[in-house]
Amino acid sequence: MRIVGIVSGLGRRVIAGVTRLGRAALFLGRLAPGLGIALMRFRLVIQQIYMTGVLTLVIVLVSGAFVGMILALQGYNTLVRYDAQSSLGLLVALSLTRELGPVLTALLFAGRAGSALTAEIGLMKATEQLDGMEMMAVDPLPRVVAPRFWAGWIAVPLLAMIFSAVGIIGAYIVAVGDLGLDGGVFWSQMQSGVSVRDDVLGGLIKSVVFGFVVSWIAVFEGYDAKPTSEGVSRATTRTVVSSSLAILGLDFIMTAFMLRGL
Amino acid sequence: MQGKGSEFAVGLFVVAGLLALAMLALKVGNIHVLSTGDTYSVTADFNDIGSLKPKAPVTVAGVRVGEVARITVNPTTYQAVVTLDIMKKYRFPRDSSASIETAGLLGEQYVSLSPGGSRHDLKNGGKIRITQSAIILEKIISQLLYSKAGHTSGHQ
Amino acid sequence: MEATKGSKPLVAVQGLTFFRDSRAIFQDLSLSVAQGSVTAIMGGSGTGKTTLLSLIGGRLAPAQGTVEVAGELVPTLSRKALFALRRRMGMLFQSSALLTDLDVFENVAFPIREHTRLPEPIIRNLVLMKLELVGLRGARTLYPAELSGGMARRVALARALALDPLMVMYDEPFTGLDPISMAVIVKLIRELNDALGMTSIVVTHDVAEACSIADYIYLLGDGRVIAEGTPADMRKTTAPEVRQFMAGLPDGPVAFHYPAPEYVSDLTVGATV
Repeated sequence: MRIVGIVSGLGRRVIAGVTRLGRAALFLGRLAPGLGIALMRFRLVIQQIYMTGVLTLVIVLVSGAFVGMILALQGYNTLVRYDAQSSLGLLVALSLTRELGPVLTALLFAGRAGSALTAEIGLMKATEQLDGMEMMAVDPLPRVVAPRFWAGWIAVPLLAMIFSAVGIIGAYIVAVGDLGLDGGVFWSQMQSGVSVRDDVLGGLIKSVVFGFVVSWIAVFEGYDAKPTSEGVSRATTRTVVSSSLAILGLDFIMTAFMLRGL
Repeated sequence: MQGKGSEFAVGLFVVAGLLALAMLALKVGNIHVLSTGDTYSVTADFNDIGSLKPKAPVTVAGVRVGEVARITVNPTTYQAVVTLDIMKKYRFPRDSSASIETAGLLGEQYVSLSPGGSRHDLKNGGKIRITQSAIILEKIISQLLYSKAGHTSGHQ
Repeated sequence: MEATKGSKPLVAVQGLTFFRDSRAIFQDLSLSVAQGSVTAIMGGSGTGKTTLLSLIGGRLAPAQGTVEVAGELVPTLSRKALFALRRRMGMLFQSSALLTDLDVFENVAFPIREHTRLPEPIIRNLVLMKLELVGLRGARTLYPAELSGGMARRVALARALALDPLMVMYDEPFTGLDPISMAVIVKLIRELNDALGMTSIVVTHDVAEACSIADYIYLLGDGRVIAEGTPADMRKTTAPEVRQFMAGLPDGPVAFHYPAPEYVSDLTVGATV
């Protein structure tokens, strides 16, 4: 009997998850026409890039620098055993551009800006601001949701590039200033090993996908939230959890594709 | 409504992101060799390229002058045909030679050019005739062991 | 339904039936709102007064029956036509529903900016005129978080008037206000209605305020109209449901006790466990 209970509980969860995915997809379909309309009023998008992107910039700069410095220390510790410390720059650059830049930026964005987006839209719903707009004959999807979606989608790739660049600079400072590596070797090894097409562009594609997914989840959860304070707080948590899982899952899939040269 | 201040901040943000991308492409990666039009290509046939890969550097006296563009197999001779993209500003005599070398003991393989003495230069689509294949460490070691074994058995 | 002030009704609801989660909120409800009148829709909490406004505004669709506003059948309208109709309706939410990231001026300017391409000086004058109507021209730079409940409601009223609507729907405009703010809102609803030649629908459960400004009152209960008439008619009526509501009696046709097992037996069962 207990097994039946566990299996049926699992089944219910799967069905609920698939239903939720369907809701999110239908929401995206309803949002699609609004995306075009929002682009024609780009000033609204710019405002939202300011709210989300620029405010996430500080945490991205600080985290990027620290991650780069940690990579340099840890990488040096391993490479020096094989007398290959000249490849430190390459190791750091590949780790950041291919993986850590896009993934960590997306995770930070989901926690800092994605949750805020959900809470903001959820609260606008809870305080009848969205209903009020509807009654003023203003469709909230293009007016409120679409600019926020665009802003997130545009901001994440930019932030990811900044994260990687700052991380490499941080690693350079540690490698040359602290570990005594030669700066020229650091850069030249990096340049000979990092491919713009496979590594830099691959990382950029990843961050574009992450930006889309995180923004989508954030605005969906906000718009779909129960219009109560409890509903909004639950939606905020769901945004962070689902975004993080989606980022890591998609990263695995995309990495597998990219390594096989597709 | 936010004023002009936020728009300026967003502008700065976008510029910073694009600068970061430019840094990743130019300083971290090697897009400057890729820029087409500034290179010409020549081919060289090798009996064995070892583990040479496209995008490996092409050097002269240790200085990078180009990169490996393509590696194919000649269907009649079964030799490896390696196409090299070399920067236009570097000209090489027609009788230059190419060899595949390894950076350090276990490092990546690259193509090293040694200039010859001819008065005519290699042109786009030209061919380097004198080549030296990759030195494959495992082969040398096994040869060494084999000859050592032959010597000892011969003496006994 | 006869209207109080002649002419064709602006809002006509016929045979309206509406379900929420299989629970009937309205059953065969009919009412009409005369042009130029202030009509109060009254009823206890949970009688679907707010839902009725959503149906008139086209945010919900009825299961049966018709909702007609200014000669247009609301549930059959396309989204575009519905939005065009809504530009001629103002709605005042109980929570005011002001946009929290905009100041008072921009909140009132919001519908004008969204729906017109007027030059900035004209928008400024329009907004200041609407704010002057509700007496808050001086509060234009405040943000919604800095406003008291009564002021927020007046700003929301100015915003509802921004596009010079045919009618304004008020959802519980008197709830949660101090006596002075309440008096201000009561005065504004009546005066603006007459001065701007609008029609007003006021959903409320405040008997005294409704009687003081309404031309006509509908009393809802059990998903239908249980009484209607002018304030004077309503006060005179002898029907027990109406008497209980109008006089605010704790017990009557609407029982004080929620349905429960017999009291004494309920207690003895508890004692034996």
